[in-house]
Amino acid sequence: MNWIGLAAALSAFLGIWLGHVAVRKIEFISPTIWLPTLGFALLGCTLEWFSLSTFNLPLSTTLGILGITFLWDALEFTRQQKRIKKGHAPANPNNPRHARILTNYPSATTVDLLKPTVIHEAHEAHEGKP
Amino acid sequence: MNFFGLLSGIATLFIIGLGFPLVIQTERRLGYVWWPYMLGVGILLIAASLLIPVDWLCIVTAILGATFAWGATELKEQAVRAELGWYPLNGKKIQPPFVEIIKKWKAPHL
Repeated sequence: MNWIGLAAALSAFLGIWLGHVAVRKIEFISPTIWLPTLGFALLGCTLEWFSLSTFNLPLSTTLGILGITFLWDALEFTRQQKRIKKGHAPANPNNPRHARILTNYPSATTVDLLKPTVIHEAHEAHEGKP
Repeated sequence: MNFFGLLSGIATLFIIGLGFPLVIQTERRLGYVWWPYMLGVGILLIAASLLIPVDWLCIVTAILGATFAWGATELKEQAVRAELGWYPLNGKKIQPPFVEIIKKWKAPHL
């Protein structure tokens, strides 16, 4: 049995899940995006440095995958802000940066169109159609 | 210096990149109700990786499995993106086996 793949799969799945949720929550409340971008980039680089420094293969793989995931998350702050501008993710009127986006981008909205309840209703409505 | 972890991280990035068209095309052509099958493929790939002695092949297989498993959790949300007009909507979807049973289950979303 070779467990290194399972370690890699778990790192990827859990790392992506964590990043997916964290980027959305942090971008929602953070007055700047450069600060969390920098934080995630530094975290990613640190993990990669540790990954390069260990000769324990499962550990090196886990750190390597988590590091790249956090580096990608650093970029996701910019992508998430674009989603806010397009109205594909909800803006937070109490966040001054989002308040400016709400003023300047007519497509921006405080409604979460992908919220599970909205998802369900929209889908049920479609499923009901002949 | 051991580049094995960094290379697995970069490989993961590219394999997950395949997950985007995988979710979009599966939802468009087949529909979100296929999610248990996609999850099953993911779990099978991860299980199969346990039997692969070559480390890099083991990792690639397992990451592909993780991508399918994650994709399964994205299918329903992708269906709504299509409903909202963010992606083209295809009315003629292929129904999976046991569709009535699957529809009673709550599609996963993370």
